[in-house]
Amino acid sequence: MFEPIILKNINVPDSFKIETYLNNGGYQAFKKALKLNTDTIIQMVKDSGLRGRGGAGFSTGLKWSFIPKDPTIPKYLCCNADEGEPGTYKDRAIIEKDPHQLIEGMAIACYAIGAANAYIYIRGEFALGADRLEDAIREAYSKGYLGKNILGSNFSLNIYVHRGAGAYICGEETALLESLEGRRALPRIKPPFPAQVGLFGKPTVINNVETLACVPHIINRGASWFASIGPAKSPGPKLFGVSGHVNKPGLYELPMGTPLREIIYTYAGGIKGDRRLKAVIPGGVSAPMLIEKDLDTPMDFDSLAAKGTMLGSGAVVVMDERTCIVKAALIIHEFFHHESCGKCTPCREGLDWIVKVMRRVEHGEGKEGDIDLLLKLCGDVFGRTFCPLGDGAVMALRGAINNFKEEFEYHVKNKRCMVNGAGR
Amino acid sequence: MATVKINGKEITVEDGTLILEAAKGAGFDIPTMCYHARLSKLASCRVCLVEIVGQKKLQPSCVTPVMHGMEVLTESPVVKSARSSMIELLLANHPLDCPVCDKGGECELQDVTFKFGPRNSPFGERKRRFHEEDYILSPVIIQNINRCIQCKRCVRICDEVVGASVLGSIERGAKTGETSFVKEYLDCDHCGNCIEVCPVGSLMSRPYRYQSRPWDLKGVDTVCTYCGTGCQLTVQARNGEILRVISKPDKGINNETLCARGRFGYSFINSHERFVTPMIRKGGTLEPVPWNEALKAIKDGLTEAMKDGRKTGGIASGRLSNEELYLFQKLMRGVFKTNNIDSGSRWNTGAVKSFANVMELNKGGISVYDALNADTLFIIGSSISDENPITDYLIRRLSRNKKMNIIIASPRGLKLDSSATLSLRHRPAAEGDILGGIAKVIYDKNMDKLKDLTGKEHLKNISRENIPDLTWTDWSSIESVSGFMLSANSITIAVGNDVLRGPSRIESMHILAEALRLLGKDVKLFPVFDRANQRGAWEMGVHPDILPGYSFRDGDGLGSEGIIDAASRGEVGALYVVGEDIVSDFPDGGFVREALRQVKFLIVQDIFLTETAKMAHVVLPGASFVEKDGTFTNQEGRVQRLRKFIEPQGDAKADWEIIASIGEAVEPSFHYGSVSDIFKEIKGAVPMYRGIDFEGLDGNGAIVKGSGIGGQGAGVVAGFSLRPKSEVRSQEQETPDPEYPFILITGNHLYHSGRLSLKADTLRDILPEAVVEMNEEDAKAMGVSKGDKVKVKGDRYEATLTAHINKRSVRGVVFIPENFTDVPVNMFFTKGKGFPRVKVLPLSSLSPQGRGPG
Ligand SMILES: Cc1cc2nc3c(=O)[nH]c(=O)nc-3n(C[C@H](O)[C@H](O)[C@H](O)COP(=O)(O)O)c2cc1C
Ligand code: SF4
Ligand code: SF4
Ligand code: SF4
Ligand code: SF4
Ligand code: FES
Repeated sequence: MFEPIILKNINVPDSFKIETYLNNGGYQAFKKALKLNTDTIIQMVKDSGLRGRGGAGFSTGLKWSFIPKDPTIPKYLCCNADEGEPGTYKDRAIIEKDPHQLIEGMAIACYAIGAANAYIYIRGEFALGADRLEDAIREAYSKGYLGKNILGSNFSLNIYVHRGAGAYICGEETALLESLEGRRALPRIKPPFPAQVGLFGKPTVINNVETLACVPHIINRGASWFASIGPAKSPGPKLFGVSGHVNKPGLYELPMGTPLREIIYTYAGGIKGDRRLKAVIPGGVSAPMLIEKDLDTPMDFDSLAAKGTMLGSGAVVVMDERTCIVKAALIIHEFFHHESCGKCTPCREGLDWIVKVMRRVEHGEGKEGDIDLLLKLCGDVFGRTFCPLGDGAVMALRGAINNFKEEFEYHVKNKRCMVNGAGR
Repeated sequence: MATVKINGKEITVEDGTLILEAAKGAGFDIPTMCYHARLSKLASCRVCLVEIVGQKKLQPSCVTPVMHGMEVLTESPVVKSARSSMIELLLANHPLDCPVCDKGGECELQDVTFKFGPRNSPFGERKRRFHEEDYILSPVIIQNINRCIQCKRCVRICDEVVGASVLGSIERGAKTGETSFVKEYLDCDHCGNCIEVCPVGSLMSRPYRYQSRPWDLKGVDTVCTYCGTGCQLTVQARNGEILRVISKPDKGINNETLCARGRFGYSFINSHERFVTPMIRKGGTLEPVPWNEALKAIKDGLTEAMKDGRKTGGIASGRLSNEELYLFQKLMRGVFKTNNIDSGSRWNTGAVKSFANVMELNKGGISVYDALNADTLFIIGSSISDENPITDYLIRRLSRNKKMNIIIASPRGLKLDSSATLSLRHRPAAEGDILGGIAKVIYDKNMDKLKDLTGKEHLKNISRENIPDLTWTDWSSIESVSGFMLSANSITIAVGNDVLRGPSRIESMHILAEALRLLGKDVKLFPVFDRANQRGAWEMGVHPDILPGYSFRDGDGLGSEGIIDAASRGEVGALYVVGEDIVSDFPDGGFVREALRQVKFLIVQDIFLTETAKMAHVVLPGASFVEKDGTFTNQEGRVQRLRKFIEPQGDAKADWEIIASIGEAVEPSFHYGSVSDIFKEIKGAVPMYRGIDFEGLDGNGAIVKGSGIGGQGAGVVAGFSLRPKSEVRSQEQETPDPEYPFILITGNHLYHSGRLSLKADTLRDILPEAVVEMNEEDAKAMGVSKGDKVKVKGDRYEATLTAHINKRSVRGVVFIPENFTDVPVNMFFTKGKGFPRVKVLPLSSLSPQGRGPG
């Protein structure tokens, strides 16, 4: 059994209080870091092989190293706590149960990149999480881990909590910056990248909650320790949120690269009622589905990419044999359609058209040629959108159609569902 | 430089050139929808995607710069299919109601579809509809969001250029609609620029809606005659009836933009109120006569009126063409042998002379783009956002992505304040003292380097102690402005014509510019005028002390005030007024009316029966700006062509023809056959115009060059003095009268210009009657809120007006625009006394409780 690293305090009573955190070795990494050269820290994070847990899997150390060193330019860290991908609930656990772990990670990151102000952009619905963070930040100030001249050093840091503006797109890093600046959350053109022109036009690092939570452990236990967990190219502990038709849905911390089969059958207790697995989404709803034969795929960035899908946020959604894939695909597509920010033509108009066709296919009103039309539309959208949301939407749909084409065609031909028989 | 291959064709372009532009240069047409050269980049429509060899994803060419060695394909099968599917997606929910859409025939979506789009579409769903009936957003805008393609050009232009920021997106995703946030009447500039940039028929012009099809319109490119900015515009008509004005992206300093006046202020041309035949006063009333009779009456009247040595005089408008103004002064000087001439009647004659000198107008013009290429821009003496809207837009747009410190000094809060680093609010008429204060700080800090500064002795009278009293501005703000100037390498000082409303001590401007230049700074001076051809009027010599080409003299001639004074004493036998309503403009409405009654023979030439025309013995019908040819010189010194498009109404004639025929009636050799003949003569008389080719003037016009004559800047400065200490408590400084706590100032309203714009029905609809603008705190103290009726009372006039609140205006000042016949603001003024004092009485509680600043 893998010994939890990020979730290690999670079941301790009052885990969210600073005393609990301190009693369990909290803020030692930060103390240690303050004595280190900032380049050393960035090198350590690079060497650890930590890759962003927000979905894209970009090297965290490398991202930090892009921030200009000029001390006269203000810099910012933004923690992306907008966690909105259906099936994903890992960051919430860290925020609500162990907020100091995040704050310590942020403090180290800010020290490393030279930021004196940091923001936590938290999903608006996370009311408890926001309160916990506010309290934890207050505690950290009073104990001297935040504020001016922290622990007698030259380093000063303020952290602010900003509650999100209620859309999935707010989690896209540049839309997040727009929203934080008080505008409509629409993604920005890249380049310039946030490392050059970010929040308020200044160099900015945006990191996911889980990414930042890894940082204190890397400082405490060393880069090579971290790099030794899981596959060499995508190492470290990873939180997997398993949901769907499993016996024990929940959040599991396992080494990267744990095979999907092990996650579902060993940890999540297998499929409910011992039914057969039909499909599984490995990394949040934009990740194309996998099927039974893919279950031995190791759950890490590269192995999943090789399978044409992605690790994304690590949200594993399991569907058993009774699931109507057409309906599942529609539900997922409705989500993207609803959340499209509307900025770019392919996503705004493409998803709208697709949803109309999908609805009629699902409702038994499909027409001949609809499946080809859907595939054509996916092709029209894919690779042409402004941000990854639109791409994700059509990748997910295309994955469903490619794996279960006959089921879609059945819907069109027979005006009813192949799995459940009924019209809808 | 970067060498790139586009569809196999090699082309070398500047680094950073967008693929879109490079491709255009290489002769390849890439369609665009959201791209706009002068707006921020959006890259949202994805119609312009191109293939970059070696890159997996197609890239938007409208934001992607070329890189050396890049290979771009704009016509590959993938690009073509992506392009056509983007258009297909845009069309999916588009209503395609082209047959009833105003935009049909000039719609970018139609054009792009025709050229690049799919020929059919499998889309068979219900289309998205936001509303069934188009809805009205403003007196000038009507919207159909069903047709919107979400390019956000409207939102961007309103925010980034106009600065009104009243448009935005509502909802999200497929439900996104670009509109006003509240779908209620917009409180905006009503400039119509959102309509102009809308590629489809979503935002439409209300006055033009359902009037015509674009292919039925004939148009002419000409120049706007409403302010000194000098925008290019295209007037379009169907069967001779003028239906709209548009702006063109590739024409003029304004490109696609115009202000409400320029875009919607044309309909006075067809107004039924115009008088279109000459008229002679017969037994108390003006009666129509043929031209020859009118001319004979003028000849006889003049001879009669000038008997027993009475004076003649002439006042012409800064809205006439150069040719007309030149002929006018030639007629007055050459035929009527008088130097009693002036342009307009609002300015102080002496101040004008100083201004022309210290602003170095004789050194030639300066492009506004050069003027705005400065580290620090200081604007004073103009409510620029209202007076010169497009100058305001240019400043806002060009300063957006540039390190430029903008400093604004004005009594009123201005829209441009939001782009400014620093805004000073000062007491009316304090411009000279503020400029002097800035010069003083700069001098004190650099005494050793400024030993030879001309006029430095005048700075003695300005001090930290008296500045607050003189200007209502504190010394530290003056110091900050000086700081911004001292830290800059290049400084542009823009001075507006508000400094001409009285003796303004504008000469201190010269000391400031001189000091900065001695310190090695690049100083540019930029004049800002409300009348479209004010600069031309002076260049043509319409001023008692300025001969054509800024040949300055100290003569015996009278300016407007002198002429009106003389008239009041019964000394003026004949007065010829062209295009100027002096009864409404001269800052003492009662006095000028009385004075004109004493004029034996008053000739007024205009297109409407103005208050002045109503008093005339002879009125002559002139032509509107689309009915005549000529040139205008805008505030930059840019000469632009006015082009005749339609025949003058009725018996009306181009003003230059009328002036010429009056001359000819008296002296047969005074004969001119065409505007280009007059221009030829101008080139001889005014060296600054020598290089200008009348026929060759295109959309960019030509900027006048310095001539080397005139130029006595330092001389003028030597002859003036900044207010001595003893004078600090002079006339305007007198202890505020608690009975009349406010100072009343005036100027043009954003939607109006002079009195002419009131005759344009669209502008009249936008703002039909006079308003009084006051500071928010002052209003609060009186319990007045926006829209309330208040009574403004001075010692000789009172009027009831609607209150407008300006949060950022200085306390203790109220502003009433000079454009309204219902409240002739000049009736409040007393000649020679500067800005009048008034009290403001809220109409709900008519007890006298007007309160001034704290
Ligand atoms: C539509 C969309 C939604 C996203 N939502 C989130 C989110 O909720 N949380 C998050 O951490 N990253 C989210 N991301 C990824 C971020 O853009 C960004 O890559 C990430 O925050 C970077 O942090 P990391 O390097 O630590 O992973 C989203 C991306 C897209 C395109
Ligand atoms: S892909 Fe969708 S979410 Fe992303 S910018 Fe385009 S419309 Fe917005
Ligand atoms: S008319 Fe002008 S100010 Fe009004 S919404 Fe359109 S662009 Fe903005
Ligand atoms: S209203 Fe016109 S300009 Fe504005 S977003 Fe829609 S299509 Fe573009
Ligand atoms: S800014 Fe001046 S010149 Fe330009 S359109 Fe408006 S009134 Fe005409
Ligand atoms: S024109 Fe390039 S994306 Fe719209």
